[in-house]
Amino acid sequence: MNYFIQQVLNALGWGSIIALLAVGYTMTFGVIGLVNFAYGEVFMIGAFAAYFAVTVLNLPFWVGILTSLIGAIVIGLTIERTAFKPVRGSGMITLFITSLGASIIVRNLSIMFFDDNLKNFKVPKFYSGVYLFGDIIILKKNILILLITITFCIMLVYLVKNTKLGIAMRGISYDSKISETLGVNTERIIIITFIIASFFGGIAGILWGILFGSIRASMGAIPVVDAFIASVIGGVGNVFGAIVSGYILAIGSSLFIAYLPSELVGLKPLFIWVVFFIILIFKPSGLFRANIK
Amino acid sequence: MILVKKIIEKYILTVGLCFLIFYLLEKLLTGFWLTLFLLFGINIILAISLNIINGWIGFFSIGHGGIMLVGAYVAAFLTIPTSFKAGIINLHLPAFILNIQIPLLPALLIGGVFGTITGIILVLPAIRLRGFYFCAGTLGFNIIMTTLAENFPKITNGPMGLRDIPSYTNIWWVWGVAIFLIYITLILKKSYIGRAFISIGKDQYLAEHMGINLLKYKIYAFGISAFFTAIGAILWIHLILNLFPTAFDLTFVFNVVTMIVIGGMGSISGSIIGAAIVTFFVQVIAPIEEGFIFFGFQVPQALGLTTVFLGVLLIVMLIKRPEGIMGDREISFNFLKGKK
Repeated sequence: MNYFIQQVLNALGWGSIIALLAVGYTMTFGVIGLVNFAYGEVFMIGAFAAYFAVTVLNLPFWVGILTSLIGAIVIGLTIERTAFKPVRGSGMITLFITSLGASIIVRNLSIMFFDDNLKNFKVPKFYSGVYLFGDIIILKKNILILLITITFCIMLVYLVKNTKLGIAMRGISYDSKISETLGVNTERIIIITFIIASFFGGIAGILWGILFGSIRASMGAIPVVDAFIASVIGGVGNVFGAIVSGYILAIGSSLFIAYLPSELVGLKPLFIWVVFFIILIFKPSGLFRANIK
Repeated sequence: MILVKKIIEKYILTVGLCFLIFYLLEKLLTGFWLTLFLLFGINIILAISLNIINGWIGFFSIGHGGIMLVGAYVAAFLTIPTSFKAGIINLHLPAFILNIQIPLLPALLIGGVFGTITGIILVLPAIRLRGFYFCAGTLGFNIIMTTLAENFPKITNGPMGLRDIPSYTNIWWVWGVAIFLIYITLILKKSYIGRAFISIGKDQYLAEHMGINLLKYKIYAFGISAFFTAIGAILWIHLILNLFPTAFDLTFVFNVVTMIVIGGMGSISGSIIGAAIVTFFVQVIAPIEEGFIFFGFQVPQALGLTTVFLGVLLIVMLIKRPEGIMGDREISFNFLKGKK
């Protein structure tokens, strides 16, 4: 039983990253119907901006957080302006392929410039250390990551549910043309959506650095797929569903690995894809209500 | 009778001309240019077989890498010399596979059949997904196959991969298969089956109301596509001479997708044009990736430049001309004269 609890607790950090990214996915998906595969690159650039500020230039950590968020927002908006805006409205598949292309471009460029080796991500001493409860070990950084994630997610759920901006977003998500005739500035709302999504990507990038202590140029490839599946399972466009299913997926795959013979540990990606197929075939709208945020 | 005679003359002439051209090319081309020409042929095979799904049926698959992987592994185990197979210690395969080495043609057919079975296994669950969910599902199939190949070293030798694959690929195999594929797809496009495929792509519910059995024709399309995709992959590994689980990953499939998007979805001539453009640019940019000296200035190594370039090409194409160079038209005599 202790082993089970330990595995669940260990998965919380990873689950938070997946949940944050899934939220970003679900936002862009809900508002303009875009499955943004380039989102993993936004996340990666966020982590690299923090890395350059903190480790290379030796600036304090809060400057790192700031540069990370600015970097993520800049790259997110650049991709949106150059790649997605011109093909908006030409179908989901075209948008999907465009985002795949943008993702591959940014990833290969960053591998070209920063190479693909692991880079040491310096975090303040405060984040390391453990709590002990009998046999169970809880990493301090896991708790911290969980708290940060929950805080931001509650803020976002409040924003989407209760503010004028959130109502405009939901309106565009239902029907962008009608909400435009009703006086919603669609273009502005889309840009704000991308800024929020990139903001979450930047935070996830820093949290990844804190959690693993190292970053690399191709790190966006795996969490982006997990987060995408989490957003589909949660019901696309549903922020709360995305958060919950992000944690469910992370804890599930952690347990899947924990109870598998040790030579089959590499089968981790299999779990999320099997879940994905089962959900899509038997409950295509996701675990939670889709299209209502 | 005159018509029949004319048709016979036409075919004999075409086949004879092809033979002559390939014979001359075999004598003339060497080294880099020969490889380029072979890659061009293989890319045509891959692009056209992907186009049957993505262009005609209208289901955007990016999971053909999994099919390629199955076909390539099956064929590789059949053609690799027994000495190499004996050298791998933890390989647990039936003895008859370890003890045979067969020529390319049966390996192509067996690999193709296994590829077809994989394609049909893929399509049965994936057929229920719509639009981009199908994309995502096939992407998942690709990742699942790569993961399985990496994690079952008893069957696939794991991440170590297979080497010592005999160099069987030559102009005759590649271009024989390519011309055969072009021919049958051109025939297919005018036949009942091909028109059924295209009508499913335009509107599948309308097609169903017109009396087309959706499941049956989707399975047909995936079968044909998977068979030739597997053959293309087998020819590829017998040219590259090694096989790793990540050989046919998303980047590889992305190249093929770029070909058909550039050329035009649903057009066979478009696929050929797209294959030509992509092959040419990849092989021309590849030397630049290694770094070179330009007027005394050392240009640094830039690995991944080809992929970046293809990505830019794809996005520019989707923005400026979403239907591709050819759209869904074909090059024919009427087309060259400017008629529709």
